[in-house]
Amino acid sequence: MRNKRLFMLMVGLMICIAVIGFSLSDRKELSWPEKFVKDTTSYVQQWFYKPAGYIAGLFRDLRELRVLYEENEQLRLTAAAYTRDKIHYNFVQKENERLKEALHFTEQQKQMYNYNYLIAQVVSVSNDANNRTININLGSKHGVKTNMAVITTKGLIGLVSSVSELTSTVTPITELNETSPTFNSISVTIEGRENESFGILSSYDKETGRLIMTKIPETDKMEYGDTVITSGLGYVYPRGLRVGTVETKQVGDFGLTYTATVEMAADLNQLTEVFVVQVPEVEDEPQ
Amino acid sequence: MSMNRIVLIMLLVFLIEGTVMPWIIPGSFGSRIIPHFIFVIVIFSGLYGTRHQALFLGAGFGLLQDIVYYGHMIGAQFFVMGLLGYLTGMLLERKRVTIMMALTVVGFGCILYDSALFSIYKVFQITNASYAWALIHHILPSLFLQLGFTLAAYVPVRRMFESRMHQTPDNEAD
Repeated sequence: MRNKRLFMLMVGLMICIAVIGFSLSDRKELSWPEKFVKDTTSYVQQWFYKPAGYIAGLFRDLRELRVLYEENEQLRLTAAAYTRDKIHYNFVQKENERLKEALHFTEQQKQMYNYNYLIAQVVSVSNDANNRTININLGSKHGVKTNMAVITTKGLIGLVSSVSELTSTVTPITELNETSPTFNSISVTIEGRENESFGILSSYDKETGRLIMTKIPETDKMEYGDTVITSGLGYVYPRGLRVGTVETKQVGDFGLTYTATVEMAADLNQLTEVFVVQVPEVEDEPQ
Repeated sequence: MSMNRIVLIMLLVFLIEGTVMPWIIPGSFGSRIIPHFIFVIVIFSGLYGTRHQALFLGAGFGLLQDIVYYGHMIGAQFFVMGLLGYLTGMLLERKRVTIMMALTVVGFGCILYDSALFSIYKVFQITNASYAWALIHHILPSLFLQLGFTLAAYVPVRRMFESRMHQTPDNEAD
């Protein structure tokens, strides 16, 4: 009897390790039972998440009535700045289009930075401390693909890690880890000096709650408080998404490059609406 | 209470855990206090039901959670929840378990559960945090939420599993 139990335990352990090993590998697509379970669960979950958010939001609104005046003042200033910049932007865009025309840009090159923002509702949040994934209510049917960036109005929050028909799972950037076999690094730059600065967001330090940016060249003039944005180099992730602000900068492990810590701009708690950034399809260009 | 009803109630708890709880927990504690209500119910099923029932409920709901929140890997929750449910059942199935005993078991179970999950993620190099930090950061704070849930749900959940036992007293192999 005892031997049988031990045997079953061993078999269970082996099956588990096999399943874990299989799911850790670089999977392109989910299998249909996974998709089915995920879609049905998320479909029901969305009836719960949003109403709960509304009720919680009501209480928060009451608490925040006092800061509303200040916020309004700030928004008015931003709106004024926006109208000024809009005129300038229109001129620059026209000019840019004219130059692209003159230089015979291909259609693909022209469309490369023409991102499409899909609005999505969060349906549920994982309750595993080591795997804080978020499910959203857009899936492959709506054009979501793996590795698409997901943002809030404040900044980048994560990347789409798996997609089913009606829902997709977002892995937040707090799960970034150099050694992890399941997550890529993101190349970033500094707002205002996009062509001069470079760095790679390689991991997230859970203990201090900061993103770690590595491989910064020695000559880089990065300073504290600079805004970090994605650079879009590598053409996997879109460019120009705000990530956070530089907090400290020190010499890296080998003394050749610098390492900086970045404070995240977006808050991952109690999200309601997020945007999936859809990068235009890149076809193989004839050389 | 039939098995169908138990599974249905647990499904409801599973849904609430992922959708309503993030709103009830204050925003700044979102990553520190993490509900594991399904796990608590699995422990109850080990205490007041049979060990096989706990094993199947734990493995089933663990797998459901693994699939729905698939970020890095599938199988961690499935294994840990099933195993701990079975172990609880094996140790305490036939004993008379009082409320204090249940609280203690749930407390130790939760620490064991979180530690086991953490070590699985550590072994596969998905997390780079140290265990001491994880213990202070989320394992101990979440424990209090789980104990609170145990106290609140003790009577209905115990009745749920015990009424099933009385209905089918000699049905061991389910």
